Amino acid sequence: MTDLLTPGEQTEPPASTGRRSSSGTLRFVLGKLGGAVISVAFVAGLGFLLFRVLPGDPVLTMTRGRPTTPEAIAELRIRFGLDDPLWKQFLDYVGGLLTGDFGTSYAYSRPVGEMILERVGPTLLLVGTGTILAVILGMWIGIRGAWEHGSRFDRTTTSLALTLWSVPTFWLGLLLLMLTGNLFPSGGMVDPSTPKEFLPQLLDTAHHLVLPCITFVAVVYAQYQLVMRSSLLEEMGADYLNTARAKGMREDMVRRRHAVPNAMLPAITLVFLHLGLVVQGAITVETVFSWPGLGLLLYEALSYPDLPLLQGVFTVLAGSVVAMNVVADLLYRVFDPRVRAV
Amino acid sequence: MSEKQQTPSQLAWARRKEAASRAWKQFRVQRSGLAGLIALGVIAALAILAPVLTDSAQLDVTKVNGPSLGAPSGDYLLGTDENGRSVLLLTWWGARVSLTVGLSAALLSVVIGTVIGVLSAHFGGWVSAILMRFTDFFLVLPSLVLAIALSTVLDRGLFTIILAIGLTSWPSTARLVRAQTLSVEARPYIERARALGGGHTHVITKHVLPSVLPLVFANTTLAVASAIIAESTLSFLGLGDPTQVTWGSMLKSAASNGAVTTGAWWYLLPPGLGIVAVVLAFTLCGRALETVLNPRLRGER
Amino acid sequence: MSAGRRLAGFLSALVCGGLLAAPVAVPAHAQQQQQPGPVLRVGLLQNIDSLNPFLAVFQSSTELGRLMYDFLNANAAKDNSPAPGLAEKWESSPDKLTWTYTIRSGAKWTDGTPITAKDVAFTYNLMVTNDAAATANGSFVSTFKSVTAKDERTLVIETKSPQATMLSLDVPIVPEHLWSKVSDIGKFANDQMPVVGSGPFILTEHKPDQFIRLKANKDYWRGAPKIDELQFLYFKNSDAAVQALRKGEVDLINRLTPTQYQALGSDANITLNKAPGRRFSELLINPGAATRDNVAIGDGNAALKDVRVRKAISQGIDTKALVERVLKGFGEQGKGIIPPVFSDFHWEPKGAEVNTFDPAAANKALDELGMRKGADGVRISTDGKPLKLRLYARNDRPNDVTSGEFIKQWMLDIGIAVDFTTISGNQMNEQTNTGNYDLAFSGWGTNPDPDYILSLSTCSQRPGADGKGGTTAAYMCDKTYDELYAKQLAEFDPAKRAELVKQAQARYNEVRPSLVLYYENALEAYRSDKFSGFTKQPEGNGVIREQNGVWGYYGAQPVGSSGSGGGSNTGVLIGVVIAVIVLGGIAIVVISKRRKVSSDDRE
Repeated sequence: MTDLLTPGEQTEPPASTGRRSSSGTLRFVLGKLGGAVISVAFVAGLGFLLFRVLPGDPVLTMTRGRPTTPEAIAELRIRFGLDDPLWKQFLDYVGGLLTGDFGTSYAYSRPVGEMILERVGPTLLLVGTGTILAVILGMWIGIRGAWEHGSRFDRTTTSLALTLWSVPTFWLGLLLLMLTGNLFPSGGMVDPSTPKEFLPQLLDTAHHLVLPCITFVAVVYAQYQLVMRSSLLEEMGADYLNTARAKGMREDMVRRRHAVPNAMLPAITLVFLHLGLVVQGAITVETVFSWPGLGLLLYEALSYPDLPLLQGVFTVLAGSVVAMNVVADLLYRVFDPRVRAV
Repeated sequence: MSEKQQTPSQLAWARRKEAASRAWKQFRVQRSGLAGLIALGVIAALAILAPVLTDSAQLDVTKVNGPSLGAPSGDYLLGTDENGRSVLLLTWWGARVSLTVGLSAALLSVVIGTVIGVLSAHFGGWVSAILMRFTDFFLVLPSLVLAIALSTVLDRGLFTIILAIGLTSWPSTARLVRAQTLSVEARPYIERARALGGGHTHVITKHVLPSVLPLVFANTTLAVASAIIAESTLSFLGLGDPTQVTWGSMLKSAASNGAVTTGAWWYLLPPGLGIVAVVLAFTLCGRALETVLNPRLRGER
Repeated sequence: MSAGRRLAGFLSALVCGGLLAAPVAVPAHAQQQQQPGPVLRVGLLQNIDSLNPFLAVFQSSTELGRLMYDFLNANAAKDNSPAPGLAEKWESSPDKLTWTYTIRSGAKWTDGTPITAKDVAFTYNLMVTNDAAATANGSFVSTFKSVTAKDERTLVIETKSPQATMLSLDVPIVPEHLWSKVSDIGKFANDQMPVVGSGPFILTEHKPDQFIRLKANKDYWRGAPKIDELQFLYFKNSDAAVQALRKGEVDLINRLTPTQYQALGSDANITLNKAPGRRFSELLINPGAATRDNVAIGDGNAALKDVRVRKAISQGIDTKALVERVLKGFGEQGKGIIPPVFSDFHWEPKGAEVNTFDPAAANKALDELGMRKGADGVRISTDGKPLKLRLYARNDRPNDVTSGEFIKQWMLDIGIAVDFTTISGNQMNEQTNTGNYDLAFSGWGTNPDPDYILSLSTCSQRPGADGKGGTTAAYMCDKTYDELYAKQLAEFDPAKRAELVKQAQARYNEVRPSLVLYYENALEAYRSDKFSGFTKQPEGNGVIREQNGVWGYYGAQPVGSSGSGGGSNTGVLIGVVIAVIVLGGIAIVVISKRRKVSSDDRE
């Protein structure tokens, strides 16, 4: 989280600059992909390691509080492979992952992969809408703030961004729930009584989305604003802008044609680099507003605790963040005019 | 020999002192940073003085007899919680634990980050490659997810929370420190120190660390801010220690005991505002410090 | 148009778009009122683990199972006693080993197929032969020798030993003509909507973590329910569910905290229901944990092996204060391990059996045991070490955590130092399953039939030599108790059996492997401006939800004709319109300010 305030370090382009040939690019891409594969493997291993050292016998957790015979317990242990040695469990797990099998949830007796798939949609909807809004809002304010550096607008928005960034997401959500009264639903994604046609479903979902989305945007947009602002400030000192001005280009043209596009890049990279933060926001927002996504699934798996489910959600969340980072790296390579133009 | 070394070291100290006072002058003119510092001072003083100024017995559920979720009144300026304890007192004492957790976690994370950053930059080669690979991996992992996993696995308690936050938030520090160390080690005087026979320990402790530490300090300030938010989030998700009063655990019990339903704003607002105030103060301080200490950010514009 | 302005326009359009969607969504939402018949909406705090009744174990899922499927016998709404279900009458042989049930005629599956004795036999036999099918309710058929359908209407069950629960077999009966085609019960999701069942409601839609919809079974043999549709809406945050009740988004919620319950009291449209709970909370006092073969396990404090110490500790605990302070009065002081809601089996201690709060007596008793207080006020145990006990509470049970603070203080008053730690649920299981505790909070939900809860305290429920298997509640092992348990199991005269059950509880109290602290009330609330007629179980002061049956939902009927809830929708509409105006206004101000600034720039 601290990264957002040290944009200089974050927005540093990938180390390799200088020599550039098509084979170099290829090697770069392959290297990145290879690294990503290793990272994802590492994530999977870490997930296994973390959750297999969890104390507590999952079967006893599953059965306590209802009539169970010792035979039934033994049967459950075998069904979930809990009596196998750890290395065999690990091999089974890895083998399963390779074939897209995340195991079977203890709590729901359903394939974990299937359960995760169900929740991806809602999370993407929330996180996607939220991120798009946050990026637009953050960048717009950031650009204006930098351009009117030191103005009242700049000072107000920067203070506001810092304050909102200091707000715990779940607290903001609770306050919104308390303050908005009857305006918006208390939770969920769509009302069961809503007709199944597309339009009513869409509108009802939008209605349910408002509060979670506002909460999410309010906490997340600050980073985009601050980075855009500082990035543009840096860009504004550049000589080529003076050259452009000297050529008689109008000020807003200078801004639009030159400064903003160049400053945009680090900010866009940041969108990808900070997906971890986005995931974090999703977990808390989904918990507060009962939004049926991956974050909520993680929270449920936690309270059980449902090891295969925890493992699965952890792997998917961490793995997708790792993957997005690779995308960010590659995009940087493709779009950075400074890297490209040699 | 000793005579000869004394003088440069004295020189170095004088130079550092001068640098510090220069930094302070630059810091002082940053109004927001100064405001943050003052706010922190006040909050820290209040937290430290809590045992002197208030009666801790009033935090013990067995000793209090206030109303459950009572509104603010003459007796309870900020009302009461579900067990009849004063929210004002809880918030006040909660600051102590929240700050302790925040500071310890940040310190842990910064120490790990600094060690890894310095080592990877100083030794280079495969050590650097491995450490950086490691750092990059942890940098992109969603730290909250990892912290959740860790606090599920380990025994419950404040220590676990500190560990979970500390172990998951160090990578950005490591990167920062590495970059700084690389730039320090590129300077000619390090070359000279090496030529004069300075070993790794000498170079790192005498030259690298002193020039990296100010930046690390600024980074710590920012890390505390995130650690405090992380603590409250973990507590809210039910991974904290419910016997400890922290701002996060207060919000958790407010949320699960009907504060929203009752409209008990006096229970929901103080701990939340406490978090916002402290996090904001640390952030402002940290930003100001960074501007002063990180030449890249200061720039020559 | 500059980039900035375009961005601003886009942004405000998006924000407004999202908000404008809301009022349009409201009429869509209101269409529920135009649908024929009333919809009862219920807030659900726990998700559904499985729709397959053989696998479902969560309270929420077993309740769903009761709505979807009928059982052989029901538990009467009046007093939980066995009542006719699919079986209209029954009789048993004198040795209680053979039971003959007559299945009612006229009952139908929701696809129109008649329900016969064969369906019942199929269900039970599946559980006997298939391990996966025994996952949830296997214990009910563990003594079954054979289950046969003599004809369409006659079912005969033979058991290996007498089983007291033959009239409360808590097993949903499934249709043979569909389930016989299922190849792997353990993996069958049972989600072919609408799910063919036999209960008062038919499951028509399930969105995990979002909602469940059931429509009334018009052909239900007891008669069609008075509501047309039943919906369960998930809430992960209990306060959100309470908010939803206030706003009229749901009509019935349960599992309220005392503060939430009290907060809802001021609302004229909401009626509260306080019912005696089925759960008891207890403080485990490690009596010397051991395996089934009497090998000591765990690291419980040796001093606790003395029943006099366990009783002294109990005397030092003020259960009345716990009810008042922790439960805010919403509960009853603990007595036997069967809560008073099951009045037939609930045991009331008399005379010396009563655990009265008396620190002085506790101090005296401990003094007499030779455990004198040291200089710091902590007693020196018989082994020469200070008497220091660990106390564990689950961190997700706020009542236990608060009770822990009280108990810690009270123990100090009788010279026992307590190290109070909160741990997660699975860590708690780990500690108690290995006997690694001194004091720990626990608790069990109980059924109308006391057999299961009593069985947890028999010697054989302790873990085996490998430390696995067995679900002992408190490491109780007592010969007298085991004899009483065996006797009640074989006793089929209700009054005599109840007497034996009470004696067993008295014995439990005498051995004191745990102290029953309190029985928490079940707190529920519903929109009485929209619905009434919820049948409570037991009659009078019982619960509406989480019954041993679904009488509550079945009895629900709408208040007046229709049009209820229109007010809240109008409120929503007005609120949204205001929000849109405000936000639109802000957007306009921002945009126009932006224009001004950029024109300044140009000059």
